[in-house]
Amino acid sequence: MVWRWILCVLAYTTLSFSYAEEPFRTFTAVNGQSFTARALSYEGQTFYLEGKDKKLYPVPYNQLSEVDQSYLRELSQVGKLPIGDPRNLVSKQPAASTKEQTGKTEESATMKDSISESTDGQRLKAQPKKIAKLRPGSFFSYQPVKLGQDPNLAVAAMSGGPPKAGEPIDFTNHVLPILEDRCLNCHNEPYDKNGRTIQPKAGLALNTYEMVMKGNLDNTVVTAGDVADSYLHEVLTLDEDDDMFMPPKGGPLTAEQIDIIKRWIEEGAKPKGSGGGGGAVVGAGISFHDHIFPILEDRCLDCHGEPYVKNGRTIHPKAGLALNTYEFVLKGNLDGPIVERGNHEESTLYVVMTLDPDDSELMPPKGEPLTEDEISLFKQWIDEGAKEYPSDIFDKPKEDKVAVALTSVANAKVPLVDLLGKRLSKPSKTQIEVASKTGALVTPLSVKHNMIRAEFSSGPNLIEDDAVRALSGIQNNISHLDLSRTKVTNSAIGNVSKMKHLTWLGLRNTGINDQAVKKIKNLQFLRCLNLSGTKVTDGAIKDLAQMKDLEELYLWNSEISEKGVESLRSALPKTKVVF
Amino acid sequence: MKSDLKSLNELSRREFVASAAKACLGVSLLPMAGSYVHTPVHALQPGTRPANARHLIYLYMSAGMSHMDTFAPNTDADKDSYQGPVSPISTSADGVFLSEYLPETAKHMHNAAIIRTMMTSQGAHMQGNYLMHTSYQMRGTITHPTFGSWIAKMSGPINSTIPMNIAINGRSGSSGFLESKFGPLPIGNPAAGLANSKAADYLDQTRFDGRLAMAQKMNASFLDNYDQKQVRAYTDLYNDAIKLMRSEDLKAFDVASEPDAMKDLYGRSAFGQGCLLARRLVENKVRYIEVNRGGWDTHSNNFEAVENNCADLDKGLSALLLDLEMRGLLQDTMIVLVSEFGRTPRINGGNGRDHWPYGFSAFLAGGGVKGGTVYGKMDKVGRNPVEGKFVDPAGLNATIGYNMGLPLNDVQYSPSGRPFKVAHDGEPCLDVLA
Repeated sequence: MVWRWILCVLAYTTLSFSYAEEPFRTFTAVNGQSFTARALSYEGQTFYLEGKDKKLYPVPYNQLSEVDQSYLRELSQVGKLPIGDPRNLVSKQPAASTKEQTGKTEESATMKDSISESTDGQRLKAQPKKIAKLRPGSFFSYQPVKLGQDPNLAVAAMSGGPPKAGEPIDFTNHVLPILEDRCLNCHNEPYDKNGRTIQPKAGLALNTYEMVMKGNLDNTVVTAGDVADSYLHEVLTLDEDDDMFMPPKGGPLTAEQIDIIKRWIEEGAKPKGSGGGGGAVVGAGISFHDHIFPILEDRCLDCHGEPYVKNGRTIHPKAGLALNTYEFVLKGNLDGPIVERGNHEESTLYVVMTLDPDDSELMPPKGEPLTEDEISLFKQWIDEGAKEYPSDIFDKPKEDKVAVALTSVANAKVPLVDLLGKRLSKPSKTQIEVASKTGALVTPLSVKHNMIRAEFSSGPNLIEDDAVRALSGIQNNISHLDLSRTKVTNSAIGNVSKMKHLTWLGLRNTGINDQAVKKIKNLQFLRCLNLSGTKVTDGAIKDLAQMKDLEELYLWNSEISEKGVESLRSALPKTKVVF
Repeated sequence: MKSDLKSLNELSRREFVASAAKACLGVSLLPMAGSYVHTPVHALQPGTRPANARHLIYLYMSAGMSHMDTFAPNTDADKDSYQGPVSPISTSADGVFLSEYLPETAKHMHNAAIIRTMMTSQGAHMQGNYLMHTSYQMRGTITHPTFGSWIAKMSGPINSTIPMNIAINGRSGSSGFLESKFGPLPIGNPAAGLANSKAADYLDQTRFDGRLAMAQKMNASFLDNYDQKQVRAYTDLYNDAIKLMRSEDLKAFDVASEPDAMKDLYGRSAFGQGCLLARRLVENKVRYIEVNRGGWDTHSNNFEAVENNCADLDKGLSALLLDLEMRGLLQDTMIVLVSEFGRTPRINGGNGRDHWPYGFSAFLAGGGVKGGTVYGKMDKVGRNPVEGKFVDPAGLNATIGYNMGLPLNDVQYSPSGRPFKVAHDGEPCLDVLA
């Protein structure tokens, strides 16, 4: 493959030309190799380059890098390069120049099936569907109009119908429908038909604004603001029996259609109707078709288009997300919708295009990120309700009354557990298994964080100190620990005291005593302590009195005296002491 | 009194075995009926919204409690034709008044809330009871699960040995189209505990194991041939039963082991002992305990009957609230007291009160309940709320479900594919929750 075409190059001595010599420059092949040469002429898709060694290299156009391609295209468009094999050119020099002067007709004919500048290495779309022409008056030829929409406006918007007087011409709405209807049969971008690649005639594709503006190797076909210099307009207005008259089949365009194209060119051949090319018209509302879809088409549909067939295999859109119609955009994928109407911050579509440049989720993954203007279009579109047409009425979706009730009670105060849990990592499965082996029921307290409740609910009378030791793997995550009615002793409390995020501790009806309280008094986040039914005595009061942050303290049925509780209550004024 | 209630509610041994197998051990006697096994819902992955209460003690005042004489004394009403001889008393919560029949409960009002605008669409006992328990109206074509079954299904066990749903003093309803293991295990007489749960005296451990081994041997070939969920369920039945039989948790049902002082505190009636058993079961982390108390159908001689009933109710309820609080269990336990409907505000010719579904009261206490609140106020005849909105049975169940962190929007399908929700789209009354 590497430089295969070089191997088969024949060496010729160089000849002089009447054309100005192009400077030497470095050409780079698609596979990355480069060499220094200058362009001499071209014929069909082959460009003749002269190397430093004065040898002639015929190079296929599509083997060159994009930069080289556009360089050569520009050269050929401005007529700097002669057509034909340079070896023949010398002898036929006068003839060649006359040929050049006789007009574009013949030249175009040579070029017609010649240059495809894009396609190798890129995927091809499937053969475009022919839109069946419906009998006038057929039910199916009527466009459905949504309830509540002005039918005239809606039809106009859908069909891209005639612009109103004084309205600036919009490429997508007014010009493109004409091109689609009358030109794309021949001037479609390369597509796959029964395994063959069908190239646009004359190398001129007219599918998008960019393609129209780019023209083909001969020249651009549109000069903004200058109708006389715009070939696109010229071919439409030629005599009908002229060879170059377009379209060659189906009769001329109507005067109205030609006028639209003329006006569009006169107005500057802009991609958008007004507002200086691209910016959203403030106040006019964003339309999916006019503003959003062109961006999607340009930047997203390569991966998120509709499923297409490539070499007999069906290629599905990435992430199961197709963006080629309004409905699909709103539908999202299996993960849920990507557009939250009225709220751009909640809309995945918006979020993924505004991520950090080095975030792997940033969309689009290739090429430059979207421009600020484009992003702000999306933002405005979503905030306006992600409407198909600006005139659509966006009602905030009616929420379930239950859901409303549920969300209306957002706790203003963030519970302590939530605050503590935020810093913790998730315990591993093994850690949880080890902890549960001894009979502990280990459950997460919230999906928001990794705090855990550990309790011994089935057969607590069989639980002994080693069960508490088994919890040590997850000790930082435990916020609620219930050891009620188990057989744990003071020695297990040593392990408990290491659970530094404990907020709730139940020791009810266990055999622990004052020594245990000494160990747990340093648990700074402990808010609820249940010592009812324990052997704790007045000796623990000194330690308990230091736990100023306690909210609830249960001492019923312990061995603490009434007097002791009185002193505790005065020492802990904020604590609810139940005795 | 005690023996009367006992004879009314006690089930025959055969009945008990049938319902215990169904309820407690997870199989129906008609196993095919339970074959539409629903995928287990782990909706209560605790977390989407934390549960404020983990257990529910549901005190059901069967046959229609007179709200005017208990939780909703109407101070503005005309004494002769409406309020009768019952006068209101103040409680531990400022500005909240209860009937003079409930002096002990009044001391716990700071931990409790009352919804006074309860309303139901059913004015007959059976239908009203059904609606209150299930949130759905009675239909010929389907049996809806009781709220306890929903809780068991949605929140799952904390204690895996004891059934999650226990009904004391008679039960109302069943697990409906949910798996039968979520249905209520009935306890006829709380003082007697869980009947038939001990091996016979003559059967020592070795012989019992021998018999089990033989049964397993005989089953083995059948199990090999028909290795299906329903067949395995029977094996599970035996295993679960044996697990419970040998478990120390079985002691939870042993009210007799409580000290006499504790039994006296709750009152020696079936209701009082039922409340005591309920507390023991909460200690053992049972999800849902329903204690039933009948005798409220006071069409005649209302005031005498209500006063008697209230003496029993007041004792049991206040003891339960006190005991749970002392043990530190009240913060995790929600207590709800409700009836299928109220009774007419206007006193009838026989000095009684008739059925009144248009306005009555529900009493809520414990974990997650905003203590000392009263929601709503009815007009003098109890026809329309003067303050607040009507709360229907679905609304009450949604309130409870919300407090217990149940997924109110989760849809479960009956075998015929119809959708049902925990609380039938009821709107939770959030004013009574903290």
